[in-house]
Amino acid sequence: MDTTLPHQFTRLSLYSLGRGHNHYFQQKEQLIQQVSTEETVQTLRLKLEPMLLKPRHEQTVVAAVDTSTMKIAETSTGIVIAVRGANVWKQRENYRYTRIGPFIFQVTEENKREVYNALERAYLTSAREPGHQSAPSLLQMPTRIANLLERWLQAMLAKTLNNGLILFDGSLTAGTADTPTRRMKEILKDGRERGNAILAFSKMTNLRVNGSLITDLAFEQRPPYLVETIGLRLKPPMVPLGEVYVAKLSSGNCAFRLDIDAEVPHELRVEAVERLLGNDLVSQSYPETLRLAHILCTFTANEVLAMQHFITRKCGLQIINRPDMHKLLFGPFGKGES
Amino acid sequence: MKLYKKEGNAIYVLSFPNETVEKGDYLLVEDDEARRALIAQVIDVQFAAVPGVLEELLRSLPDGGELLQGEDVDPLEIAPHITYIQDASVLICKIRATVENDSLSPSSSWLPSRSQSTIKKLPISTLLKLAKISGKLPIVLGAMKDSSLLTIDASSLDGRLNIITGKKETGKSHLSKLLMINLLGYKATVVVFDLNGEYLSLGITSDGKRNINHDKIHVLTPSQNFKVALKQLSLHVLLGILVHALHLPGTSAREFRRIWKELKQRDSLTLHELGEAIRNWNCNQQVRDALFSRYHTLVNSGFFTDNVAEAALLEESLLKAREEGGAIVINLRNTSTIDRQIVVEHILGRLVESLTNWKLKAVFLFAEEAHLYLRETYWDDIVTRMRHFGIFTTFITNQPDTIRENIYRQADNIFLFNFTNEHDLDVVSRASRVDAETVRSIARDLPPHNCLVLGKVVRDFPIVANIKAMDVKTMGETRLFFG
Repeated sequence: MDTTLPHQFTRLSLYSLGRGHNHYFQQKEQLIQQVSTEETVQTLRLKLEPMLLKPRHEQTVVAAVDTSTMKIAETSTGIVIAVRGANVWKQRENYRYTRIGPFIFQVTEENKREVYNALERAYLTSAREPGHQSAPSLLQMPTRIANLLERWLQAMLAKTLNNGLILFDGSLTAGTADTPTRRMKEILKDGRERGNAILAFSKMTNLRVNGSLITDLAFEQRPPYLVETIGLRLKPPMVPLGEVYVAKLSSGNCAFRLDIDAEVPHELRVEAVERLLGNDLVSQSYPETLRLAHILCTFTANEVLAMQHFITRKCGLQIINRPDMHKLLFGPFGKGES
Repeated sequence: MKLYKKEGNAIYVLSFPNETVEKGDYLLVEDDEARRALIAQVIDVQFAAVPGVLEELLRSLPDGGELLQGEDVDPLEIAPHITYIQDASVLICKIRATVENDSLSPSSSWLPSRSQSTIKKLPISTLLKLAKISGKLPIVLGAMKDSSLLTIDASSLDGRLNIITGKKETGKSHLSKLLMINLLGYKATVVVFDLNGEYLSLGITSDGKRNINHDKIHVLTPSQNFKVALKQLSLHVLLGILVHALHLPGTSAREFRRIWKELKQRDSLTLHELGEAIRNWNCNQQVRDALFSRYHTLVNSGFFTDNVAEAALLEESLLKAREEGGAIVINLRNTSTIDRQIVVEHILGRLVESLTNWKLKAVFLFAEEAHLYLRETYWDDIVTRMRHFGIFTTFITNQPDTIRENIYRQADNIFLFNFTNEHDLDVVSRASRVDAETVRSIARDLPPHNCLVLGKVVRDFPIVANIKAMDVKTMGETRLFFG
């Protein structure tokens, strides 16, 4: 396994924090949600007949990836962010995990290019792709760094797992700043070559048919079933690398957008979902492996306190309490800045 | 440690895992600017309400209650910081005193700075010195948690009302023996109502040899080596027995008084003459019957004799004890309830008499399970009137609710062993020398032979000590069928 990226994460983390020695910071926790920014051309339709699914119980390893990022403080020159990722896999009846991080970075206008480019370069040594990304804005840095870690974790699974199911959080849309097309294509190709099927579950989607979200449309069939979409076209440079389905895998109110590697034949895509049903717990239409990956990488308040403790004790950053302007100006009507 | 908040006379201190503080420990909260410090005692340790802990715990148990197996790659080593925060605790402390210019005051009216004050553990040995707990007549009770010795001053038991309580087999009798032996060492007169024959061998070492106190222990077994002649008794004492122990009605008591006076005038105070006098006395038949039934009870107890030579032991023992110090152990084992009450009435009456006449200076009375022989009205008498005569009582019981609430309120010292029963803890917590939370919280977790000492002996600084062992032959062990 190529560990250049995590090593670089560690090195840059310590480097960026070290530069903040004797600086002051204000505690500020803010969970950063990665939101879909897909813009569609209104040609999307749903096939009227859902495909009913039968769980297939042949032994298949189910693996999932997720990352989480959080802004844990503000310094006078920038922000302090934390990133963590988790791989969870289910083999026979047991779930196991590898959790990597948290990595803590102090990102400033000064060092953001240096930090991001170094991480990009570290990723590219394994991705064999020329780097062309410009450094994102300070506000985008948390998601971009988390995305780098997520893609690396996804790539590692795609390269190491054989004949398994790999679950991603989000979609298989490429061509965004976070997800360059070639990088995602390479992950999908590596997965396919080892007989894996890659399925991406989006908790939120903005794909609509006749004005309604695709996941809100009701069908009379009893789950589990998939509903195929037709005619998805995204505004360039975004490219959908997966076939998009609406997946209602168990009873309950929830349905999810499910992207499955488009290069895999249709029958194998359906079979992959059926193997998922036969090998993983599915509650509220969401696979347990992916749920655990999310839970394991999410930061709890206790961990935020611990990270703040770490940066004060180990990195010499001093906590300051800058007044909250909302509270200061509007008293009880000020709901806080974040 | 950091000062978190103050409510009433309780302060809450945030403590981290590397700071080992336990219930019962003392803390010094120093405010350099105010040039004062608070002495506070930890009465409970709780987890700090750290946000996110529940999620943390739930996350580790998602797989049907079994721990999720996996590997954490934590290159920055944040995990120890997470555990550090997660294991933070809040120490609930009671303010005991303020230190200002090296002197103690019980005040808790000021508030130390939350941000500037420093908090450290106060070694109990330092506290003892500050509070000047050990005096000129030291009694070593045992070792405290830091292995230093808890030494109290015997004079802090002088003139005091003490209670030793705790559940069975926690070491109550052992402590009362320790106190008694130490008081003997200071030539005190001690009287023990020994219900189970536990104190009979105080003068013998565990290997059966005589110890230095052997000649100071006087065991008096009623009806055997301890008898009373009517001639020795005052009417007041005998009426006490008849009215309080044998429930003689008032009218009959008046007739008895007349009979007694006449017999005394004739110098015929013997059991036989008393019987004859009742038989021939000109009075109502019911009164005669009442007097006769009590007379026969007295005779049948075997405690009364006409032979004055047979009845000299109590007097002799008290005399010896007055000179050299000594313990008069009244062996109430194998004595019936009525006889027990007769004996106790007699002893208390005689003690008051001797103290009133200054034949005795003062007596330390140790009463085990006093509810089994002490009449209702004596409780108040003992804590008020008899204390002024010089009877300083120590009650020993494993049923704290048998001692009345006003006794707890007036107790000067309480030696508290383990209790787990809420009701028992409630009763003991009524003692005025300490707050209820301290009693409830600390007493519940006391290991056997560890005693929470409250009251004047420790200058109102509750201290836990492991009561030291003594080389005394053990008596009063429970007889076992299988043992």
